[in-house]
Amino acid sequence: MERDVLLQLSHISKRYHMETALKDINITLHKGEILGFLGPSGAGKTTTIKIITGQLRQTSGEGKILGVDTTNIDDSIYEKIGVVSDNSGIYEKMTVWQNLSMFAQIWRVPNKRVEETLKQVGLLEHKKKQAGKLSKGQGQRLVLARAVLHKPRILFLDEPTSGLDPSTAVAIHKMLLDLKEEGMSIFLTTHNMEEAAKLCDNVALLYQGKIVEFGPPQEICLKYNKKKRYQVLLNSKKEVVLEQSQETAAKISEWMANDEIQRLHSCEPTLESVFLQVTGSALNI
Amino acid sequence: MGNINKLTAVARIKWICISRNTAIMVGPVITVAMVLAYKVIYGMNTDGELSPILAGMLLSLGISMNICMDGFLMVGTAIAEEKEKHTLRVLMTSSITGVQYFIGSILFPFALTVGVNFVVLAVSGVSIGQASIVAFLLLSAAASLISCVIGMVVGICAKNQMNANLIAYPLMLVFMMVPMFGNFSEGLHKLSGFLFTGVLTEMAYGFANGEPYVAKPLDIAVLVGELVISILVFLILYKRNGFEKD
Repeated sequence: MERDVLLQLSHISKRYHMETALKDINITLHKGEILGFLGPSGAGKTTTIKIITGQLRQTSGEGKILGVDTTNIDDSIYEKIGVVSDNSGIYEKMTVWQNLSMFAQIWRVPNKRVEETLKQVGLLEHKKKQAGKLSKGQGQRLVLARAVLHKPRILFLDEPTSGLDPSTAVAIHKMLLDLKEEGMSIFLTTHNMEEAAKLCDNVALLYQGKIVEFGPPQEICLKYNKKKRYQVLLNSKKEVVLEQSQETAAKISEWMANDEIQRLHSCEPTLESVFLQVTGSALNI
Repeated sequence: MGNINKLTAVARIKWICISRNTAIMVGPVITVAMVLAYKVIYGMNTDGELSPILAGMLLSLGISMNICMDGFLMVGTAIAEEKEKHTLRVLMTSSITGVQYFIGSILFPFALTVGVNFVVLAVSGVSIGQASIVAFLLLSAAASLISCVIGMVVGICAKNQMNANLIAYPLMLVFMMVPMFGNFSEGLHKLSGFLFTGVLTEMAYGFANGEPYVAKPLDIAVLVGELVISILVFLILYKRNGFEKD
């Protein structure tokens, strides 16, 4: 059965005077899916989020979010979606609890849910702390807690782990996967290809405003795995890279039989190398 | 019900942000302290009794200072602070409408401005019995509303708090200083009659002299006209860029 389509963009383009920011963007986001928009800075990721959430209007093409045309959405759409931009702020003079309770009042969410969300992001013990005194990672978790407080159907995240330490990034990844399990759809923009590969069901590789590749991360990587190779580390500490052939199969088989292999990896391309191959440009810029 | 909830939430946010911003909250305190200090100094040689002209001057100084500082700065700086801390966009992407944000933003400063005007009236030395409380309330409310709308214009134009101050100060100079120095120059006095703060100071001097306030057509035209103009300017700016230029 076809899953619920929550977001669909068809041939979306955006031009600023003479400059084209987005060209012919086509994507679909289903219920309970994480879609990654992957690209370097200036590729058009934030512009896409702004068009979908009604903060910007596209030059051409059609976008539908929760069945509503993106050019016709009003403020009530924000009761059904959550938005975390790359610079979403918190009210530093308020406590952690107040930061959420204000929005709970806006969305008519009971206080019990505020407590539940704070617990989910690990900030319950800091609820009386002034938000301005939180660490960067805690602040980002508070931003995320606020975005999911009203249990939105789609969560838009613009570079959610940018500039965070690895342990906080891992905690946020876990939270996103939990939200996905609960049926929330997530639209994630990032230039971190490891993050995209780990979290996303589908990724769109965006370059200069155009989607150059779209699909599940693994499928994309395998599609570009034209020359299969294997990296082998032997007991003698010798590391060899072998191309797929009858001879290689026999050799690996022999090493295995003699228990000479310490480590064996296939060398399929990563999303980053695919991006480099498709665009001729590095991703993390 | 939902709209009231949202409006109350914005007003609560503004109340917390403004009341915890020392730089803004010092404004009403300075106004009242200044009027009190002048009253004590001027009254030293007269056993605390002030001549009507001095009492009128103190009342007009206090209310025009309060209206300009609280309205322009309090409202404008609070919006600018939200831009600076990146919370304005968060609020505007939480289903709050422009109208709810507008009303929620001016509720607390408006009430405070009107309240402080009454405190200034009480400490200025003008006998409460000489003042028409209803007229004072109505004119105070109208002037406070205009100053709050101008504060919204300041906020919509400002990129950050520093910028808000830079935009607000020239406006304060005009709306505060012209009525204050109206007694020293005929030209300024005439100009003052066309400013909403001038209407208020005129009323203050009238109260000090024991004259009942009678609304003149020009006063009403000035108050209504300046309210309409400030709302129009705000709407034009809001239509162009929303609260924040993208």
